[in-house]
Amino acid sequence: MRTPLSSGLAAASMGFLLLGLALRNWQVVLLALPPVIVLALGSLAPPPRPRIVAVRSLSRERTDTGREVDVELLIRNEGGSLDLVEIADILPRELAVIRGTNHAVVSLEKAGTLRLAYTVRSQVKGDFVLGPVRVRSFDPLALGAHDVALDLRSPLVVAPAMEDLRRAQLQPRRTRPWFGQVPSRRIGPGTEFWGLREYVAGDEVRRINWKASARLERLFTNEYEGERSGDVVIVVDARRESFVGTEADNPVEHAVRAALGIADRVLAAKNRAGLIVQRQVIDWVPLAFGRKQLYRIVDHLVHVKPGGEWRFSHVALVLSRFFPRDCLIVLLTPLQDRDALTAVIGLAARGYDVAIVSPSALEIERRLRADTEEDRMAYQILAMERANRVAQLRRVAQVVDWDPATPLALALRRMTAWPRPA
Amino acid sequence: MATSRLISPALRYTPLAVLALLESWVVWDLLAVPDRRWIAALSLPFVVNVAFLVLSRASHRRWARWIGLMALGTTYVVMHAFVLGIQLVPALLFVSVLIGQVELRILAERFAPLFLVTLTATQQRQIGGALLRALIRLTIASILAIVIPLLAADLATAGVVPVTTIPTALVLSAGLVAVVLIIALLPSLEPKAE
Repeated sequence: MRTPLSSGLAAASMGFLLLGLALRNWQVVLLALPPVIVLALGSLAPPPRPRIVAVRSLSRERTDTGREVDVELLIRNEGGSLDLVEIADILPRELAVIRGTNHAVVSLEKAGTLRLAYTVRSQVKGDFVLGPVRVRSFDPLALGAHDVALDLRSPLVVAPAMEDLRRAQLQPRRTRPWFGQVPSRRIGPGTEFWGLREYVAGDEVRRINWKASARLERLFTNEYEGERSGDVVIVVDARRESFVGTEADNPVEHAVRAALGIADRVLAAKNRAGLIVQRQVIDWVPLAFGRKQLYRIVDHLVHVKPGGEWRFSHVALVLSRFFPRDCLIVLLTPLQDRDALTAVIGLAARGYDVAIVSPSALEIERRLRADTEEDRMAYQILAMERANRVAQLRRVAQVVDWDPATPLALALRRMTAWPRPA
Repeated sequence: MATSRLISPALRYTPLAVLALLESWVVWDLLAVPDRRWIAALSLPFVVNVAFLVLSRASHRRWARWIGLMALGTTYVVMHAFVLGIQLVPALLFVSVLIGQVELRILAERFAPLFLVTLTATQQRQIGGALLRALIRLTIASILAIVIPLLAADLATAGVVPVTTIPTALVLSAGLVAVVLIIALLPSLEPKAE
């Protein structure tokens, strides 16, 4: 590869030659020789082609946002001696190097080795690839360089951080026939007292209400409210309109974090959870129970990037075709446009139970802007518009207006009931 | 950190000192120009040179440095080609020192800030050796860049330097042909696709 210096020298030489000929001055023509001589000497010792073998190891291949990952790159020179070689382990821009370095300029003898150790951290979730390793061998006179890219790639999956929602009351109102933890308002196996009935043969002895039996001189059995499980579908609005703010601090990132926390909470309470993400494509995970389902949801959430031109009403189509009508829909949207509002009203009209968690894009934007008088005025107007939108939605759904700077659990605790009472 | 031990302050500050020398040289020659109109005209590229070099120093812009050096060279060449007349030895020296300054700066940049890893004694010795070899090649290139054109000039004017003999002329001619052949035939300066 030719460097700018070699091009500069060639141009200078040509310039002197032309100027000398134009002025008919042989001294100026001779000034063309020094750059040519330097170029000629440079071409006598061209940069050697690096023959490098590299091995990369990561302390972990799956991690969470904000957690550090140690990377070690071992490099061995399989070719001849390299006077000056630059080695760079190419990283995705989302990964920040916390300690050590992924870049070095060294001399490598034949069979010489170099170890680059560094620690990276990502503030955003994603499916990243470390590599390739770029090696550049320099010519001593800086006139040329030889580039080689080693196709050494290591995947690193960074999952979103989990919101702690253990104390949040997240449960579907309508239940399914399977045992769970949601009071079903039907008699069945559970812990909450429901009523009394006369003893029938086969009833468990421990369920006999001895006080009532003694008073009425007949055997009575306690009945309990059955605890069953329900279905929760989490819908993440990752349309382009929803992206406001920075790469790490935007409503889509916060919605993904909230979705993971809610999915974890719902699945831990023995409910079924499903996921719909509206991004460039409409992506969904069918309802299922258990830990494996949480991993499926994480895998889908990791790939969420804002984008897409789809109307939000397409989500309703997916819901009606692939999910039962009696599930609770938790919609994570910043409510940036009326499209989401219309979609929610439509879903409620079809009988879906809808709850909305809305990471406020307004609060994110406010933190990014300077605090001037105009900004304060604009904020107040936009806050009023948002409050109107939320008030409209509260007629048909539960709405949590969430400032992402605060924990989601705190915002959910402010709700009186989840979901809205029947 | 290993960086400060590896790179001697001499290598770090030599390019700056050489640049200061070149600037003083041009100012000195500029003061020798008899015509005020020429001084005014030549001051323009000189001021551009100083402004862009200061800008490149402040903002680390490579293009600003290139423009600054080009303006410096232009001031010198135009001043001597049109006003003062070209004295071959100082002119060759000026061009060679200018090239040497660029080479030295690149060497200093390569060997100074990029050593972010802690190096072993063996690696430091290897790098020291590489630096020494690069400096030797640069010195040889600079000497040849002055000597070969001088001998060529001597041939052209037949007798400026008293060492001119028929064998010298033959060796020099062979050398110039070899240089041209090397530049024409060696593919090392062509871009190589991986």
